Amino acid sequence: MGNALFIIWRESAEAMLVVGILYAWLKKHPDVVRGMRYLWGGVAAGIALAVALAAVMLGVARLLSDQGLEYFQLIMMIAAGGLIVQMVFWMRRHGRTLKRELEENMQKSASAANWWGLLAVVALAVGRESAETVVFLYGLGVQDENRWAFLGILALGIGAALLTFWVLQQGGKVLSWRTFFRVSEILLLLLAGALFVSAIDKLIALDALPALVDPVWDTSAVLDDTGRFGGLLAALTGYRARPALLPLLFLAVYWTTIVSLLRRASR
Amino acid sequence: MLALGALSVLAEELPVYRLVARDGTFEPKTIEVAANRRFKIEISNEGRGPIEFESRDLKQEKVLAAGARSSVVINGMKPGTYVFFDDYHPDSSKGQIVAK
Repeated sequence: MGNALFIIWRESAEAMLVVGILYAWLKKHPDVVRGMRYLWGGVAAGIALAVALAAVMLGVARLLSDQGLEYFQLIMMIAAGGLIVQMVFWMRRHGRTLKRELEENMQKSASAANWWGLLAVVALAVGRESAETVVFLYGLGVQDENRWAFLGILALGIGAALLTFWVLQQGGKVLSWRTFFRVSEILLLLLAGALFVSAIDKLIALDALPALVDPVWDTSAVLDDTGRFGGLLAALTGYRARPALLPLLFLAVYWTTIVSLLRRASR
Repeated sequence: MLALGALSVLAEELPVYRLVARDGTFEPKTIEVAANRRFKIEISNEGRGPIEFESRDLKQEKVLAAGARSSVVINGMKPGTYVFFDDYHPDSSKGQIVAK
């Protein structure tokens, strides 16, 4: 039971992070009504994507071959990572001018392209991880003789996810707006980095990229990436107990670039 | 002679290892493979629910519905032990591939 709950919560944590942070940011935006439509539209699109992917994974829908699914997941990871990075910088630009615009009574609404970008980020975040949840839940539902136990787990799982969402919103109230968004930015940028690392790992496994040195070190004694906490950290930050050199080089370049771009955007 | 040599390399089959997953357990728990040699693992899910074969060391992640079979090809690995697990039953299901 605890295992099932943890899995449901873990898979939804990534999506909650993206949806929760965007929700908190949108509430302070002058175009909040329009923005929220794209946010919830993204959630709906994400759920549809998750169900479609789950159907492919379960062999119910022959939309993609085995290999095709691998490449499709690869594209989703890279697109999600790229869109999250773009979104962080977009939120920064709009966040900074927001207070001034409100004071000067200017109605500076973001262009339609940016809103669709927001929808895409949400759809990808929700869709990618929820596909595995759908498959997992389907498995639970099919196996359990006790219908009530299954529904109970489902309800608790959804409750846990909503609790995560609520905690995130409380963070927005307890911390200053500025601190909250600094922390949110870091969490989102860590997540984007993790997605890119997963994509590179997948490309190495598919023989499309060389690992260079594998592994560079082994910290599984300190923090194993196969346990519950280690696995979560791996998914949200890109941590690997036994990393290959190529993803490490990537992370070094990624963070150096991000930090310098953030510094420049702050001026 | 060279042509025959090249042909025999092409014809060389990948060693195949069987792995059976069953609702959170793997059989066998340990697979011994030759180091630095590409190989294939054929996974079949004989349990009642889906499993996700996952290994960070091997950079593999694959969901298998109940009754499904799939295979993963792993590139040659240095000697050592590589852990895999079922992401849908992370507590109970650890296995390892030992390359010698």
